[in-house]
Amino acid sequence: MAALSSTHCRSYSPLQSSSFAPSSSSSSSSSSSSSSQLVHLQRVSVSSVPKRFLAAKVYSLQSQTNSVARMQDGAVATSITPIENETPFKKLKDGLLSVPSPDECKDAVGFDINENDSTVSITVVGASGDLAKKKIFPALFALYYEDCLPKHFTVCGYARSKMTDAELRNMVSKTLTCRIDKRENCSEKMEQFLKRCFYHSGQYDSQENFAELDEKLKEHEGGRVSNRLFYLSIPPNIFIDAVRCASSSASSGNGWTRVIVEKPFGRDSESSAALTRGLKQYLKEDQIFRIDHYLGKELVENLSVLRFSNLIFEPLWSRQYIRNVQLTFSEDFGTEGRGGYFDNYGIIRDIMQNHLLQILALFAMETPVSLDAEDIRNEKVKVLRSMRPLQLENVVIGQYKSHTKGGVTYPAYTDDETVPKDSLTPTFAAAALFIDNARWDGVPFLMKAGKALHTKRAEIRVQFRHVPGNIYNRNFGTDLDRATNELVIRVQPDEAIYLKINNKVPGLGMRLDRSNLNLHYAARYSKEIPDAYERLLLDAVEGERRLFIRSDELDAAWSLFTPLLKELEEKKIIPEYYPHGSRGPVGAHYLAARYKVRWGDVGIDQ
Amino acid sequence: MAIRLSASSSSATLFAPSSFSHETETIPAKKLFGTWACQKNSNFHQNKHFELKASNVQPLKAVSLQAGAPASSPVTERVEKPTQEEYIPFLETDKEESTLSIVVVGASGDLARRKIFPALFALFIEDRLPEDFTIFGYGRSIMTDEELRNMISKTLTCRVDKRENCDEKMDAFLKKCFYSSGQYSSEEHFLELDKKLKEKEAGRLSNRLFYLAIPPNMFVDVARCAKRRASSENGWIRIIVEKPFGRDTESSRELTQGLKQYLSEDQIFRIDHHMGEELVENLLVLRFSNLVFEPLWSRNYIRNVQFIFSEDFGTHGQGRYFDNYGIIRDIMQNHLLQILALFSMDTPVSLDAEDIRNEKVKVLRSMKPVQLEDVVVGQYKGDCDGIRCYPGYTDDMTVSNNSLTPTFAAATLFINNARWDGVPFLMIAGKALHTKRAEIRVQFRHVPGNLYNRNFGTDLDQAGNELVIRIEPDEAIYLKINNKVPGLGMKLDRSDLNLLYKARCPREVPDAYERLLIDAIEGERRLFIRSDELDAAWAVFTPLLKELEEKKIAPELYTYGSGGPVGVHYLAAKHNVRWGDFGYED
Repeated sequence: MAALSSTHCRSYSPLQSSSFAPSSSSSSSSSSSSSSQLVHLQRVSVSSVPKRFLAAKVYSLQSQTNSVARMQDGAVATSITPIENETPFKKLKDGLLSVPSPDECKDAVGFDINENDSTVSITVVGASGDLAKKKIFPALFALYYEDCLPKHFTVCGYARSKMTDAELRNMVSKTLTCRIDKRENCSEKMEQFLKRCFYHSGQYDSQENFAELDEKLKEHEGGRVSNRLFYLSIPPNIFIDAVRCASSSASSGNGWTRVIVEKPFGRDSESSAALTRGLKQYLKEDQIFRIDHYLGKELVENLSVLRFSNLIFEPLWSRQYIRNVQLTFSEDFGTEGRGGYFDNYGIIRDIMQNHLLQILALFAMETPVSLDAEDIRNEKVKVLRSMRPLQLENVVIGQYKSHTKGGVTYPAYTDDETVPKDSLTPTFAAAALFIDNARWDGVPFLMKAGKALHTKRAEIRVQFRHVPGNIYNRNFGTDLDRATNELVIRVQPDEAIYLKINNKVPGLGMRLDRSNLNLHYAARYSKEIPDAYERLLLDAVEGERRLFIRSDELDAAWSLFTPLLKELEEKKIIPEYYPHGSRGPVGAHYLAARYKVRWGDVGIDQ
Repeated sequence: MAIRLSASSSSATLFAPSSFSHETETIPAKKLFGTWACQKNSNFHQNKHFELKASNVQPLKAVSLQAGAPASSPVTERVEKPTQEEYIPFLETDKEESTLSIVVVGASGDLARRKIFPALFALFIEDRLPEDFTIFGYGRSIMTDEELRNMISKTLTCRVDKRENCDEKMDAFLKKCFYSSGQYSSEEHFLELDKKLKEKEAGRLSNRLFYLAIPPNMFVDVARCAKRRASSENGWIRIIVEKPFGRDTESSRELTQGLKQYLSEDQIFRIDHHMGEELVENLLVLRFSNLVFEPLWSRNYIRNVQFIFSEDFGTHGQGRYFDNYGIIRDIMQNHLLQILALFSMDTPVSLDAEDIRNEKVKVLRSMKPVQLEDVVVGQYKGDCDGIRCYPGYTDDMTVSNNSLTPTFAAATLFINNARWDGVPFLMIAGKALHTKRAEIRVQFRHVPGNLYNRNFGTDLDQAGNELVIRIEPDEAIYLKINNKVPGLGMKLDRSDLNLLYKARCPREVPDAYERLLIDAIEGERRLFIRSDELDAAWAVFTPLLKELEEKKIAPELYTYGSGGPVGVHYLAAKHNVRWGDFGYED
């Protein structure tokens, strides 16, 4: 396979980049020394262009944003002075196996004139919070040293606590690490990154404070076209306040303004709709980027590639061959003193209604017209709308209780100080869902999510039907119909794809065995897999909406779960208790058995 | 061997209660035929237990059929060598009754020394041979038993996982080996052999297996002598013959007729030793015990199938036999065509030998005879790489200097049936190429309307899925899939979903001859070639072979150790196909 280039943030074909730029040949004579500089400079351009896509699409996306951006577009269109260094040609020769996508960021030559004109300011609202510290700043830093951020960018922390820039930098620096494959100059790069980080303290609902922020940002932007990205890393009840202040007092004057929000998006259909309405008072749909960080996971992205770029899977992808699909998510720890937020939502809202349902939609959707964000999201909405709302009888809920093992006592959920003693909030749930369309009619989609289980894992498991009239069954006493093929996509940990097949055990006898056709990422790809937040932040910067949730999707997702959630709460259904660190309530097995299915992740041979 | 329901067996004997009544740990009758094992390596040894028992059933059936022995005999005919103490009581009675004599005709030959005796020894070590057996070498050279043993012992080795007591076992094995010299066409000499055999058999029920490791022109003579003078009186007689089975349809038929004068079809075991290879066996398992492959197994999804068999050495002074046959007869018409038939046949009614062979014949008969324009023939020429020189084919002293015999051939075949219409089946077989390799490659069609094509300049249609079943080197199965390269960009990569046997099954894979020998002993005919199959196979190639010879088509010369004649690429291109990973040196 062609080289795994180490710096690749975004890829698109050199062919396209040149078609993008009719004027390319005129300046292509530039010497290699100057080209390297240009190569460096062009990163600026990244600002509003999802570079892995076709030029044509870039235009269409651009036109969706505001007029200022379009101005920018104009600049882009006339300013291209691409450099055809030798890479594109080399890559073309590299063969057809891989998409010729060399050092993607660097390839985006041709925007260099913008270099002094545009900038991105990323404001992390709620900078002192856990998410910001653990995920957002590190992801931004990773993008920075992968050279995926524009040349000019500013990171600004915003929160209520008083802090100096230095204090923020100090705080941020503690969580930054360099990837193994990028160790060199790490501390230097860290320094440079931290120099671009600033802090501004203020209330989340104070327009004044945001106006001050605006001043500060303008200072750093230095008169360039300014694009602004706000990451709301704050509790959802203040989303709307913050959005109001940000859009009225701190939105960009001449570039785009985008706001990233993360779950929870309400507690049910109504509250979610209210939140959407609230946000839309101040923002347009295409300015709202609803993150579901699971969609940024490598193997979730790969799901579509597997389905749509391989001939061998698509024919199998229907009720005719697939017996059932299992989506599982488990954590091996409980709430551990942080149950306050969780107790208000429960595992169904926290994991199922968003992460697992999103994966299900990607798994089950029809082939989209193209890979454009809108086309994909259209298909997802269609699948979600074909689904039957969840019935209470198709759900098992559980809550973990304390368990003593080897002298260590693991606390129960209700032992958590932040959780009421009589809480009925499920920390585990299993559910069977159905899609009533031609492709999936009758195929159970089983979901399982839980905390304080025996492993930490997220995977998609496709169990195929038995071989009709299996000739090997006649000769063996055993039931081969139970040993069906299985495709497993393990999202975490230890990313892998494997297909269980029946195989003959080498030797003189005729014994069958289930072996795996394996693709173990760690063995094949030496590169570290980027964190989901990196991908999503970069997408937001580039305006690529494919992995973000549109409001109609959100709506459809809630309508599946809202009736169930209401019923659970109204009837005060008591969860089945399971010991901390166990495999969860046995009820899950009975649920599966109801549809003549077995959970694939709990056998001996996984 | 485990699943053995040969057509000749009556189910009455098979399930005769007596045959498992003493197997006290109660394996239900059906389970006798193998165990479904989620393989952990530790299972191996426990399970071997069952396999042993299963294998035993076979000789019984054969006996009762051939000798007309009453159904009550099975109990006493158990010839198993039990590994567990508790069997001893039964053993005592069994031992007396039946014995197996294996006569290797042509014992001093290359095949016998290099393959047959080692395979027999391996079966012995694995406890797969009956408790009571005798091995006789038969040949023209005068030799004592001692000399034979000495000769054999040089080629015996113990498997890695069976190292302990190796020398001891070797001795025990050699003690059962004897030699008898004689002419291949002399009934008298075979009568002498018969006497010696009787002596060893000591009046027990005797089954006799003759392995003809001799040139084919003597097959019929030996069959005659063996059948007339050295048949078992009360057990079965089986004769294993190995290719070449004639040079074309006519001579093959003649050979078959000759053999059938003395033997019935079910006494003839035509070996194609490639059929005993692990992955060939696994091919059927893959196809028929997995749901995910069968839907793809047709012209709808498969663009072409390639069978590649290459050797990295030439004839090396042993070209006399080869020169008379050429690579097409030596490899294609039998090995590759057999694999093709297994690959493409429809689902058989059952795994019985006759059912499988029926399907194979059907496929072979649906095939178009190979056309001259669909074939490329080649012959290697000498090459010096600066360190040493490799001789050309015609430099071989045993080969005539103007020989046109192909040492390389590539061909496109078509099966005119509903499943495979229009799908090219490509074959390559060659000597003195740059690698030693045997594999099946299934190239799938492109993804119709591939979404990812629109976004990338490259032609993903060229990067179709591919299923590779590699027999040599390093047995493996892998499926090439398109996958996203981890990282922030969207780059696709062809990765492999992999099953490398070495990694998963640390046990040594048995030699093909072991499997085939045990099958012949047990009367399992699945992997042997029936005469109508042979006929159908010749019908595919005979017109071509005649045309090549009549027109004296000159082979394309290729360099020793190269990727073969370039003609193969044009042959493939004719059908819009690319050889998967062939023809690239290094």
